Amino acid sequence: MSHDRRVLMSLPPSLRTSVTPTELELIASQQLIEIIPLIAMEKTAFISGAYGPLRPPHRAKIPIWMAVNLKLKKKCHIIAPHWLNVEFLQARLNEETTETGFSRLPFRFSEISKVLLDVASDDIPDAEKIRSVLKDLCEARQAKSREGLANLDQGEFSLPNFCSMEINEVRPFFVQSMAILQQLYRESGET
Amino acid sequence: MSWDAQYRAGTLLSNANSAPKARSRRNAATLDDSDDERPNPRTNDSDRDVVMAPPSFELEDEETPLQKLMRHWMNERHAPDILPAQDELLASLLDHIRRQSEAVQLLRGEPSTSEEDHIRIMLVQTEVERVKFIVRSYVRTRLFKIEKFARFIMSNPEIQTRITTAERAHASRHANLTDKHFHFSVLQSLPETQSHLDDTPIFMPPMVTQPDESVPVFVHALRECGPIHFPDGSSLNKMTPGYISLMPFASAKALLNRGDVELV
Repeated sequence: MSHDRRVLMSLPPSLRTSVTPTELELIASQQLIEIIPLIAMEKTAFISGAYGPLRPPHRAKIPIWMAVNLKLKKKCHIIAPHWLNVEFLQARLNEETTETGFSRLPFRFSEISKVLLDVASDDIPDAEKIRSVLKDLCEARQAKSREGLANLDQGEFSLPNFCSMEINEVRPFFVQSMAILQQLYRESGET
Repeated sequence: MSWDAQYRAGTLLSNANSAPKARSRRNAATLDDSDDERPNPRTNDSDRDVVMAPPSFELEDEETPLQKLMRHWMNERHAPDILPAQDELLASLLDHIRRQSEAVQLLRGEPSTSEEDHIRIMLVQTEVERVKFIVRSYVRTRLFKIEKFARFIMSNPEIQTRITTAERAHASRHANLTDKHFHFSVLQSLPETQSHLDDTPIFMPPMVTQPDESVPVFVHALRECGPIHFPDGSSLNKMTPGYISLMPFASAKALLNRGDVELV
């Protein structure tokens, strides 16, 4: 009974205008990642697809949430995605500080790197250095998005290479700013 | 549906069925071996090659039902209006949740569950919880909008085509209840000209809440599409996949319903 009532309740007010970083992590964790399993498992049907077989020490591709789950039980090593290393991120950071646009990064790089660094920092080479480069990268991009706000208009505002978590961070401010601009245009058109 | 075929091809159910365990294990093992012979075994793709033969599947899209639901969930969360109901997709996923849960129950009933089986059960259950969370959040998002726009829904046939029968019934009940409440608490004591919710006094905003389509949304193009027209008269010839842009919901609506873009 109590279960049914929970389902029937509408969305809580705090979630009505935006999504939470945790929800974005949940979405990003559906992406596949390579692992080295430490246990064997036959091919198994999941709702999102069939995964396995897991045969140590052969690599396998499974969703991130599953890899995190196994990692927490010390049943696998996670192989960092090709972009999660100091070299790649440092190159993006250099681009970020020398060029005007946003550098190209995976759409959900922020969520994925957080999830992986949280649970598998021992599997990722130079995890500490990666953390600090990621932090600089995010700050450089934040500064750019604030500057970009000056170009906001009522019609359309394109943001090439802007990423999922960044969109979520600026959403309230950007959406409201555009709504105000729309209103100003409407009113100046009326008079 | 090819999805079901793939689902049945998995070993979870065959283990749980009455077939002797050792035999199904061996079957699974032979299936695995054939996978291993591939020079570059990408589990998901190789599985698709075997089971998802219809080429139409490739053409349509490569999204799994769960990915579709996640997309619709986020679209619904960001859109100011109620989007078309995805009742078939939802029903198939609920069915899938039920079958996975049953399979887990059967596996658990077996006395000799190995460590491997424990981990499998744990993973399958974790996924079921993940999917349940998304389903719940999706339905609650729609419920929130239906309650918010209940009165408008009852007076607008177009929006009623976008919601399920159950949602319409809920909107109707909700609209009736609030109508009665407003009537007995305030409206009945007002002069006749001001005693209706749909009165339109000049210089006053309407009292029936409607979806505001001018609300800006973040759009993420999934395939090449366009042209898009904006309320200020400007337009965009085309969007390439990956294009990200902030625009009024009204401009993105048609593309969204066609699945050309998603809201992020």
